[in-house]
Amino acid sequence: MSGVDEKDESAVYRRVVLKNASPYHYLEVCLVLQDESTRLSAVELKQFIISGLKSLYGEVGAALTFDLLKYDEDKLTALLRVYSRGLVKLWSSLTLLGSYQNQACAFRVLQVSPFLLALTGNSRELQLD
Amino acid sequence: MVRVKSRYLLCEVNVSDRSRLLLLDDRAVATAVRAAVARTHGDYGSALCTIGFSVKYLNAHTGIVFLRFPKRSYKLLWSALPFITSVESRGQKIPCSLNCLHVGGTIRTCQKFLIRYNTQQLHLMLPQCKNEGKEEKQQVRKAILNCSLPGGNKEAFEDELEIEEDEEE
Repeated sequence: MSGVDEKDESAVYRRVVLKNASPYHYLEVCLVLQDESTRLSAVELKQFIISGLKSLYGEVGAALTFDLLKYDEDKLTALLRVYSRGLVKLWSSLTLLGSYQNQACAFRVLQVSPFLLALTGNSRELQLD
Repeated sequence: MVRVKSRYLLCEVNVSDRSRLLLLDDRAVATAVRAAVARTHGDYGSALCTIGFSVKYLNAHTGIVFLRFPKRSYKLLWSALPFITSVESRGQKIPCSLNCLHVGGTIRTCQKFLIRYNTQQLHLMLPQCKNEGKEEKQQVRKAILNCSLPGGNKEAFEDELEIEEDEEE
C-alpha cells in the first residue's frame, strides 16, 4: 500500500484505527414493563438503574457514575452515558434487573457505541420512502 | 502448572477493649468478612467469596488472623476489609477493625513473617516493661529462655506476647 502512495498521491487510501478512542460509551436502552401503562420519570429511572447496580455490584457498583442524557417518557427509551471502564458493569446489571415494584420488567439494549453520532442512524429503524 | 494458587492475608484485629478480644472465633470473623464483602461488592462479591475463602488461623490472644482468598480475586475482597466495623460473636458485638500486615502465597511464608513481626514487637514492648519493676522483667526473660523448643517457635512467641499484654494491663 505504501509503495502505491509514493507514485500517485491523489488516489491515496489510508486506514486509521483508533483504540480506546472515546472515554465514554453510549447506550440506547428501552424498558419493557409487564403493565404497559406505567410511566416513570427520569429520576425514577435513574434510581431504578442504581438499585440494580447496587444489588449486583454493591456499594462500589452503586457509585459507578453514569448519565441519563435523553429520555422519552412515552416510549420509555433512554440514552445512557458511562465511562468505558464501567460499561460491562452497567450492561450486566441492566440485563439482570428483573422486577420494578413487583411487576416483571426487562431492559432491551438497542444500541451501544463509543461515539454519540453513531447512535443517530439505525438501520433497524430505517424508513425508505 | 496445575496447582491451585491462593493468597493468604495476615491481618490484625484491633480492638479497643483487650478482654473482649478473647471472645473471637473463626466462624464469627468469617461471617463478618462475608457480610462486608456482600455490602461492598454485592452479589458479585459474595459469589467470589464462596469458593476459595476461609479463615485459616485465628489467635484470640494476639488478634492475628490468616485469611485465605483465591488468587484471581484477592484484591477485590481485600478492598472490602476496611469496611468491617464489628464482629458479632456469641451474641455480643465487638467493635473492631482489621488491618492487613502481610500478603503471602503460602501459609509458611506468612508464618515466617509472623515470627519476624513478633520479634520486632517484642523489641518494641520490652523497653516499656523496664519501668514497671524488676520481677516482671525476670518473668519475661524466663519465658524467652523457655522458648527454645524445637518446632514450637510460633506458640512460644505468642505465649510471650500474652504475658506482656497482662503486664501492661
